[in-house]
Amino acid sequence: MEGFIIALFVCMVLALISKYLSIPAIPFYILAGVILGKAGLGVVHSDEISRFFSEMGLLFLLFFMGLELKLERIIANPSKVLKGGFIGLTIDMGIGFIAAYLLGFSLMESFIVGAAFYITSTAIVITSLIENRKLMFKETETIIWVTIFEDIVLIVILALLSASDQNLLFFFAKIALALVFMYGISYYGKEFLVSILDRDDELPILFTFAAVLTTASFALFLGIPETLMVIALGAALATTDPDAFEQHARPFKDVFLVLFFVFFGITIDFSGGINWFIIAVICSLAIVSKLISGMIIGLTIHGSALSGLEIWSNTISRGEFSIALAVLYGSPVIATTIAALVIVTSIVGSFTAKYSTWLRRGIVSRSRKKALMHRPH
Amino acid sequence: MTLRSLNLPGVGTKYEFETDKGDTVAIFFTKTGIIQMYTLQKGCKTPSAAEMSPVEARRLGNILTGAIIEADQESVEIAFSALADLRITIHTFFVTPAVVGKTIEELQIRAKTGTTVIAVCRHDRNIINPPPTFAFEKGDAALVIGESDQIKTFEREIMVN
Repeated sequence: MEGFIIALFVCMVLALISKYLSIPAIPFYILAGVILGKAGLGVVHSDEISRFFSEMGLLFLLFFMGLELKLERIIANPSKVLKGGFIGLTIDMGIGFIAAYLLGFSLMESFIVGAAFYITSTAIVITSLIENRKLMFKETETIIWVTIFEDIVLIVILALLSASDQNLLFFFAKIALALVFMYGISYYGKEFLVSILDRDDELPILFTFAAVLTTASFALFLGIPETLMVIALGAALATTDPDAFEQHARPFKDVFLVLFFVFFGITIDFSGGINWFIIAVICSLAIVSKLISGMIIGLTIHGSALSGLEIWSNTISRGEFSIALAVLYGSPVIATTIAALVIVTSIVGSFTAKYSTWLRRGIVSRSRKKALMHRPH
Repeated sequence: MTLRSLNLPGVGTKYEFETDKGDTVAIFFTKTGIIQMYTLQKGCKTPSAAEMSPVEARRLGNILTGAIIEADQESVEIAFSALADLRITIHTFFVTPAVVGKTIEELQIRAKTGTTVIAVCRHDRNIINPPPTFAFEKGDAALVIGESDQIKTFEREIMVN
């Protein structure tokens, strides 16, 4: 328990520092975990309590993602979402998967590394777009649609990874049944749900917490992945009053997710050996592959390489979803690699996002100078 | 002028419009509660931005609707175009020593100026629709409603220094 308090306190200080410097806090939480935990000083150990809190963090992260996932919006704008989304998926996931396979990971491990390599951090990307005042840029909308597409891919990946060892037909029938049940409650019980959410006592927050936990335990009972079911719960409840649910789930998500990151760092174990070569290759490729996909998206959607550069500089950061994949399906070696990937890309990404306008201006003025010099007299 | 609104998942709501002269203004109400306003001059590539708290944004809104803003006293003019262009002004006043201790009835506010005191803010509490027997105290802020001429009369006749 003392270790737990130490971890919490360290996080609070780190959060303050990172907010002050306006850089994302996620890499610092993980680093703090690595330093405090198994791989470092060994002061904090993961136990029953910390595992419970970490799992809550993951569940609330996914529940939140479900709440934001408005399928009707995607159906309304299929071309916007699909074009950029598919370019990102094939290039980033392709490069990540092939690189991991060539570096000696098994097929299955390469798939997980590739997925973690592909998925950008929605949290870091959106916060940095707001903080760096880029909301009006035309590339911003494209970036947001790409992150939404990635959320959907993540759902498919989670379904694929958890379906592999089951009778497929039975598995999908169970999922379909659970979906019908959740959407049914949200549809027919909408008025009741809204009346609960409108109250100003402890009921709305209690209800939100209970809904997430009940869904997760029911999923365990039915033998279907709780991760998927919590996302589906979010998506189903988003048809009632998503803003109210977000408001009531946010405190849980904020606290538990920080613990999730720290304890991910704490459980990282260098006993399998750290291969700095693999880490260096994966991290640098992670930055390069987003440059390639960003450029192609910029050229095909906005017809400009500068737009591509802007998209690249804002989508480098990997974060919460990559770690979620590492926690759910990764071996110690994969977890170490993904931890390094998240730390490096999120720090590099925060700088490129901050200084991308300088970069753009520099390129534009240089090309203008060149154009002036080549002008015939 | 065309106004577009768009809900950006995870970010918030965006309102964007292009003026007749070709400049673009975009407002974002983010989920974190802050409001960002971007302006993009015609022919320019990079917009400039201002970030506001909700209170600041409301103040800006008041300025843009053409209401007069003084240092601590605000007024808002509301125009009802459906009701023969009815214009109503609501103005806040900090009470002056001349009215302290007097009631609304004694001051003959309605008879002298035509305005009505609709609320008084006292020690961070609001008294809505104060009765005629209501007496002002030092430090009160009164919210007065009327036409803009009547408000000016109120300022001249009642809130004298």
